[in-house]
Amino acid sequence: MVNLNKEDLLNRLKEATINGDSDEVARLSKKVIELGIDPLEAVEKALVKGVIELGDKWISGEVFISDIIAAADAMKAGLSILKSEIIKRGKSIKYLGRIVIGTVEGDIHDIGKSIVAALLEASGFEVIDLGIDVPPQKFIEAIRQYNPDVIGMSALMTTTMLKQRETIEAIKQAGLRDRVKIVVGGAPTTEEWAGEIGADGWAPDAISAVELVKRLLNIV
Amino acid sequence: MAKPRIEVLDKEEVLEIHERSLNIISRVGVKIEHEEALKLLYSIGANVDFSKRIAKIPEYIVREALKRTPSCVRLYHRDGKQYIELYGWNTYFVVGSAAYYYMDLRNEVRRPLSKDLADVAKVTDYLPNTHLMSTALVPADISEVLADRWRMYVVMKNCSKPIDTGAFTMEGVPDAAKLMAAVVGEENISKKPFMIFAVCSSPPLKWSALTTQNLMDCARYGIPAHIIPMPQTGGTAPATLAGAIVQANTEFLAGLVIAQFTKPGAPIVYSGSPTVFDQRFATSCTGYIEVSLISAATSQLAKFYGIPSGCYTMVSDAKIVDTQSSLETAFGAMISVLAGINMAIGSGMLLEENCISLIKLAIDDDIAGSALRFAKGIHVDIETVAERVIEEIGPGGLFLKHRHTRDWWRKEHFIPRLFDKRTTDMWRKGGSKDLNTAAREYIEKILKEHTPEPLPPDIEKTLSEVIKGIAKKYGIEKLPEV
Repeated sequence: MVNLNKEDLLNRLKEATINGDSDEVARLSKKVIELGIDPLEAVEKALVKGVIELGDKWISGEVFISDIIAAADAMKAGLSILKSEIIKRGKSIKYLGRIVIGTVEGDIHDIGKSIVAALLEASGFEVIDLGIDVPPQKFIEAIRQYNPDVIGMSALMTTTMLKQRETIEAIKQAGLRDRVKIVVGGAPTTEEWAGEIGADGWAPDAISAVELVKRLLNIV
Repeated sequence: MAKPRIEVLDKEEVLEIHERSLNIISRVGVKIEHEEALKLLYSIGANVDFSKRIAKIPEYIVREALKRTPSCVRLYHRDGKQYIELYGWNTYFVVGSAAYYYMDLRNEVRRPLSKDLADVAKVTDYLPNTHLMSTALVPADISEVLADRWRMYVVMKNCSKPIDTGAFTMEGVPDAAKLMAAVVGEENISKKPFMIFAVCSSPPLKWSALTTQNLMDCARYGIPAHIIPMPQTGGTAPATLAGAIVQANTEFLAGLVIAQFTKPGAPIVYSGSPTVFDQRFATSCTGYIEVSLISAATSQLAKFYGIPSGCYTMVSDAKIVDTQSSLETAFGAMISVLAGINMAIGSGMLLEENCISLIKLAIDDDIAGSALRFAKGIHVDIETVAERVIEEIGPGGLFLKHRHTRDWWRKEHFIPRLFDKRTTDMWRKGGSKDLNTAAREYIEKILKEHTPEPLPPDIEKTLSEVIKGIAKKYGIEKLPEV
């Protein structure tokens, strides 16, 4: 470790991210700061790049979704250490966009939403995951707090999908509807449903969700 | 750990079939169209009628032959390093052999060319769950007098896996030994055999001159042979399954005696290709479920004798690659692993064992992988029962994120190459392809991208000289390019 140069360290950080080894990523991220290496470069060239590479491999069938999720978690472990250093240097991480995501109120299904979140992260987006059973008010607060480009709402049951409509209505009433794009998904939802409740888009699966978000934000 | 296994006969039934076979072999006898074999049997105490060519073999000779037979047969890869063991409950999947027709990637059924056989060899070299190649096709672009050995040459050049083959000629086995010697050296023909010969008896209760010669030659060279009785229920064998099994067993035992008294310790596999003779259409059907019952019984008898087993189980009577071809093959594959058939033969085969389709072969590889996974059963230990993980994740949690999932998911599941598991939308975006289309594209990709490990240049040169020398005997100078 003593003679580790910058290139080696960033390569190892990327490898650890790809391996989903959060502990190793945290350790190496501290090393980045210790050695005075540009933390932004570490984020972009190692953490984000590692996750994006893995995302491409998932689409081509080489790795599993659990690998992506582990890598995304590892990336976050690194980010939490490097972020303050980046801010200290007066810089910020360039993402493709910021997404707030959550499963609607009354619905505790985690898996679909988590996969979409991980894939968005693996595609270069900043994702703020509000978790499950998220009431409309919490989405509204998140819009105010994070100023996201897109809100994503998941619902896995025919009973809870109605909450998607309710949440959009609440966002409208709060006067925030024109500040964000809203996308919905989940097993019982359809493109027609999305149109009916005034969402900006709908996707049937995680890969389509990433494509949808890119399309809405004019990212080619 | 309980392994999923089936038995279709109980102990007394196995014994009864064995004893009935001994009665038939000693009282009725077996017709053997081979003078030397008859003399051999006479010399060891069989009652031989030379004019009728029938040998009645007493029980003690059969018992002695069984004693002389090895319980394990090793088949090597061409490189002489890797090998598979036909033994116990291991199942290996084998491409069907000697089809006269080829169904090409445009689904046209035609006579194959040597190039088609090379393609089958290349694809098999790549497929993960198809363990043995065979001399699958009888190419039309080579004279029939040379076709058996020419197939071996084509396959040796294009596939590194062990080869199931057979000879159509009296000189087939000695020439094959020359080809094998060119690849692994003469001393390794028997030590590290990479070919196994199919030798068929001719039901009912007959051995032809050709296959008897092949069997004796294999024994002399120490080349493994699998003896294939082919009972046809209601045609050339009794309509009853037990009767067909007794008859097949008798033919097998006659072959075994010939092999073990030609050379003690000859590596023999108890194989078979039972069929149902359909009384409605006068067809010999490989895909009837009763064929699987006979196959499973064959495996039980082989285990009773302590001899490796094989059977044509990966076959179908379908005329195209369709639901029937996959269903019949899937039953066969599952029963093969559950019954512990060591060589599950016939991958890629259609049309009463007379046609090879690469599309079926690719689908059969997924079927084989699925069956092998099933046979492994459920692995229960402290790590896999995952109490610790379930406790950690707790009610309402998500296993997707846990390290245990990443460590175990791949290990626990067989991941098919072709069976579609995507979302409907992903499938639509991928072109809404059916299984046959996916299999065809997979084959095209393998043919484009996979290059089997080539033979070392000096070996390839020697091998090519050997086949040219054999061809010359028949005045054949020009050989197809492969």
